[in-house]
Amino acid sequence: MFAFLLNRLAHAVLVLLVVSVLAFTLGNTVGDPVASILGLDATPADRAALRTRLRLDEPVVVRYFLYLGDLLSGRLGNSYGAQRPIIDLLAERIPATVELALAALVLSVVIGVPLGVFAAAHPEKRIVRFLMTSSVIGVSVPTFILGIILIFTFSLTLGWLPSFGRGEVVKFEYWSTGFLTASGLKSLIMPAICLAIGQIALVARLARAEMMGVLRTDYIRFARARGLSDRAVNFSHALRNTLIPIITVSGIQLGYLVAFAVVVEQVFQWPGMGTLFLQALSQTDIPLISAFLMAAALFFVSINLVVDLLYAIADPRLRIRTQMQGAGG
Amino acid sequence: MKKFLQGVAICGALALASLPVAANTLRFGGTTPPLTMDPHSTNDFVTAALVRQVYDSLVGLTNDMDIEPGIATAWAPAGENTWRFTIREGVKFHDGSTLTAEDVAFSIMRQKESALYRAMYGQIREAKVVDAKTVDVISAGPDPILPRKMVRLFVMSAAWAKANNVEKVPDLGAQGTEAYSLRHANGTGPMRLVLQEPAQRTTFERNKAFWGPFNGNVERAIYTPITSAPTRVSALLSNELDLITDVPLQDVERINGTQGYMVSSAPQQLFMQLEMDGTRDVALDTWDKNGQPLQANPFKDLRVRRAFAHAVDAKLIVDRVMRGQAFVVGTAAAAGFGGYQKDLDVRWPTDVELAKKLLAEAGYPNGFIVQLNCPLQRYVNTEEICRATASMLARIGVEVRIKGMPWPEFARMLVNGPSSSFHLIGAAGNSGDVQDTFTSVMATRNRDKGLGGTNWALWSNAEFDAVTAELVGTFDPAKRTELYRRGLTIGKEQVHAVYLHQPMLTWAMRRSITVPARADSAVMLKDVTIK
Repeated sequence: MFAFLLNRLAHAVLVLLVVSVLAFTLGNTVGDPVASILGLDATPADRAALRTRLRLDEPVVVRYFLYLGDLLSGRLGNSYGAQRPIIDLLAERIPATVELALAALVLSVVIGVPLGVFAAAHPEKRIVRFLMTSSVIGVSVPTFILGIILIFTFSLTLGWLPSFGRGEVVKFEYWSTGFLTASGLKSLIMPAICLAIGQIALVARLARAEMMGVLRTDYIRFARARGLSDRAVNFSHALRNTLIPIITVSGIQLGYLVAFAVVVEQVFQWPGMGTLFLQALSQTDIPLISAFLMAAALFFVSINLVVDLLYAIADPRLRIRTQMQGAGG
Repeated sequence: MKKFLQGVAICGALALASLPVAANTLRFGGTTPPLTMDPHSTNDFVTAALVRQVYDSLVGLTNDMDIEPGIATAWAPAGENTWRFTIREGVKFHDGSTLTAEDVAFSIMRQKESALYRAMYGQIREAKVVDAKTVDVISAGPDPILPRKMVRLFVMSAAWAKANNVEKVPDLGAQGTEAYSLRHANGTGPMRLVLQEPAQRTTFERNKAFWGPFNGNVERAIYTPITSAPTRVSALLSNELDLITDVPLQDVERINGTQGYMVSSAPQQLFMQLEMDGTRDVALDTWDKNGQPLQANPFKDLRVRRAFAHAVDAKLIVDRVMRGQAFVVGTAAAAGFGGYQKDLDVRWPTDVELAKKLLAEAGYPNGFIVQLNCPLQRYVNTEEICRATASMLARIGVEVRIKGMPWPEFARMLVNGPSSSFHLIGAAGNSGDVQDTFTSVMATRNRDKGLGGTNWALWSNAEFDAVTAELVGTFDPAKRTELYRRGLTIGKEQVHAVYLHQPMLTWAMRRSITVPARADSAVMLKDVTIK
């Protein structure tokens, strides 16, 4: 088990290193920070001075190691555009994005799983065919279009929900939450639905496929033979075995939800990491772009690590295999 | 638990502070957030428009972009290189302290040290306090338009800056902490900054002790940035905001047609132009019709430049691409600029046959291929402008290959080169005076003299340079008018660039709001009336 843990950790570190190279390179290709900061009419002398201060005139390799050193010692630096420490910016923005992603995740499971079960249990019903077809639409409609349609309907026409922002938030020491106020919850509805819609379709299709497989197995037939009700068979016997892959996928999807909330955040002016990232891109705010990418990578890697470890606990075969490899090597 | 209670108390206070729709509260929104509340550490125009509510400029700026007394009540030349400003008495900062001549001198020196303002204030050597109500500004050479430049010089309290450790403009890229002036302010302006929540919300309230006239009735104002244009429009029409800036052109009619809303617009201090390489012997990214790189620079031939000017129909671009929200421009100036000459502002007539003839005379009877570098952001509808240009030039046999670039990439190409022989760009004088357009956009590039800093296509004309050199040293208004006219005429005759149009900026608001739209995009809260 220990060897397995080490192995996974080494993988995680390797991934982070690769991302740090990518983050560094991307930061250097999107534009010239000096041109972005000083604008078009600064003097060449001022440009040169800023270039030196930002260490942009060092060789690329040297700059990468300086950057890596800063990362390892936790110095993320100041954002060029916001003129504030990046660590403050991230701390301010992460709660908004995480809450949005969690809400979307909950929605996708709560709606997607029952849909999938229902579809598997009654594959012949017309409503099921209709739902499955529309789930394809759910996956394929671009989020920004869906967002604009939602805003048009619920803010503009009906006037029920706010079209932008996060509403009032309650601030704790390191976290600000919109879950505790009425306006916060109202503001959350449309962005969460918008972000969740693709996930709902995904979870529903996954649940249906898994469920159909499970429903064909012997123990379900025996359960039916015992005269249990459809409901009891579907939800307490079959669903339990269906849930494991759904939980796994949902966990990994949480990473995607956080990282790909960018578009939804932009449409609803959600004050999360996505809006921050887009602003950083438009200002060639290199330290912030790199920091966002590293934070996203860290998030992904952590989730994957946890999922891997949970797998190992759930599935003894994984543990045994690494032990045998360890013994063999 | 104590911390939790503190948290609850703070958020309670915040909730009170940001309670929407109190009496006479203006909720307004634009594309981007203010980057900082420090007026000297950015030249971003959205930030400047908001900061102007809190800080007064040394010389005031009317809603029609004319200069008027501000913190300075009068100014006059005092010797060759010196301007003498008389400082208004009895002006109070928001913290209650009285503004002094020292504060003015301090602010001039603080802002001038910012690299972002070097192009404007770099020639200033010293700001000298003569007596309690007089400050002399001494430049390295004569500067006839210095008062006009001072409309962007914001006055800050020296004592406050010192007390909060922001005597110098915060150092960009420095490790460490946030400068105090980023979200705190102490100006003399008509509004006081209540709360700046970076990238989310900026709250102002009326400064009861404001020295000047407060024409409107706004007590409180909240600015919210909303980047996505459809969302911004929806926020207005669903009554979450009272006024928005930067209305997408395609929504103008829809908003005007919605009961209770209207659109108002003003010409921007900017005009769009196509710049053509004026110096290189071999132009970049140009090919003959067989795809072989040209071994010449067709743009050095005046006939080619004239052919382009006559082929591109600016009126059609205004009507179709800009949906009428722009004015055709015929000289290197636009209405609202100091030194603008209305009677000269007549564009080349569109004449495809003449253009073809000129091109043939220049040795390109079949035309050629050229790459048009096109910035995709920053200006309105640039991509469509570039496409329209391409189809108009196709009529005279010139094949245009459009290279669209996000702004950071476009800026890098110019600043680190300039490496472009043909591009679309917006031109403007920094201070809104044509002299700035002459010295930075049109004069021959010369680092030592600080000329032609934004002359990205390297246009160069000796006669024009002589006019510019004379203009920057001339104080006599009649003589200056004469020089403006000569410069603008040379620019047009020599086709310095293919001038296109001056875009309008458009605001949309509820009909119950009255506000003058301004060319600098500032919503002057003191002039807003809510019915």
